[in-house]
Amino acid sequence: MIKTALRIFRTALAAIALATASVADNVPRVTDLTDESGDRVPLRTMIPAYPEVARRDRIEGEVQVCFNVDRKGKPYRIAVRKSTNRVFERPATRAIRASMYRALPPGIKPSGIKTCRTFRFHLEPDVVDDAQ
Amino acid sequence: MTAARLTAALLLVGFVLPCEPFAADRNESRTVIGPRNLNLYDGAIALKAGHAEEGVRLTLLGLNMAAGEHERHIAFANLCAGYILLEQLDTALDYCNRVLARDDRHWRGYNNRALIYIKQKRYLEAEQDILAVQKLNPNARNLKIVRAMLLDETDPVIPNIVIDDRRRPPRNDDDQ
Repeated sequence: MIKTALRIFRTALAAIALATASVADNVPRVTDLTDESGDRVPLRTMIPAYPEVARRDRIEGEVQVCFNVDRKGKPYRIAVRKSTNRVFERPATRAIRASMYRALPPGIKPSGIKTCRTFRFHLEPDVVDDAQ
Repeated sequence: MTAARLTAALLLVGFVLPCEPFAADRNESRTVIGPRNLNLYDGAIALKAGHAEEGVRLTLLGLNMAAGEHERHIAFANLCAGYILLEQLDTALDYCNRVLARDDRHWRGYNNRALIYIKQKRYLEAEQDILAVQKLNPNARNLKIVRAMLLDETDPVIPNIVIDDRRRPPRNDDDQ
């Protein structure tokens, strides 16, 4: 029951962070997928900007970025593990660099385990209302 | 389509710089320092800088002084682009049609005309001109810009970003 409450709390926290934080001027539609297996709680999740060139040329893709998180919650040693198109790599790493995790309580050491985040960039049809 | 984006596309697209001094009759021998038709040259510079009214004015003067078909052709091409900047699309279309009537392999002319058609919501005609550019110059950067403009009108999309923090790989691709 405590684990469930903790999971709900973490999800809610991430949702609030997501709603208020974005590096993009035009905030895209965002879907956040998480589970309770991560050892650090996201505090501020920055949304990467969809690259204009990719949007213009209708390019979609995926980037996985892995990094460590220090005890204050700041990501470091950020590196792209894999990507389907290089055009998405810089926005993804910039978003990680601008994100924050919850700081560890005093006396707790960082685990040293790398955290990975995958960004999937999609383009969806924008339904236009004929009445407009 | 924002005006700024249209201008940016045009500035990349349509302007021909008459920078070569040349004789109206190729058999004629003369020494010319700088551009032969200064109005035409200055008009192109003004249009490239985004000063549409001044650019069109100078280009029209240059057209009146044009010596030979080549200069008239350049003037028509630049007037097409200039009148697009001024949002006088019917006039721009007229000049673009003159360019293409003289040279049906003028890919910039097709590109500019496609822009006009997009602005006039004549999407089928725009698509035909974009196909023409694709055949003549498939690697043209401006082609991508104009094609994107057409797609934004006919097939608009919105970005959707999935942020996946799950440590375990998903069993299904439900999130894609």
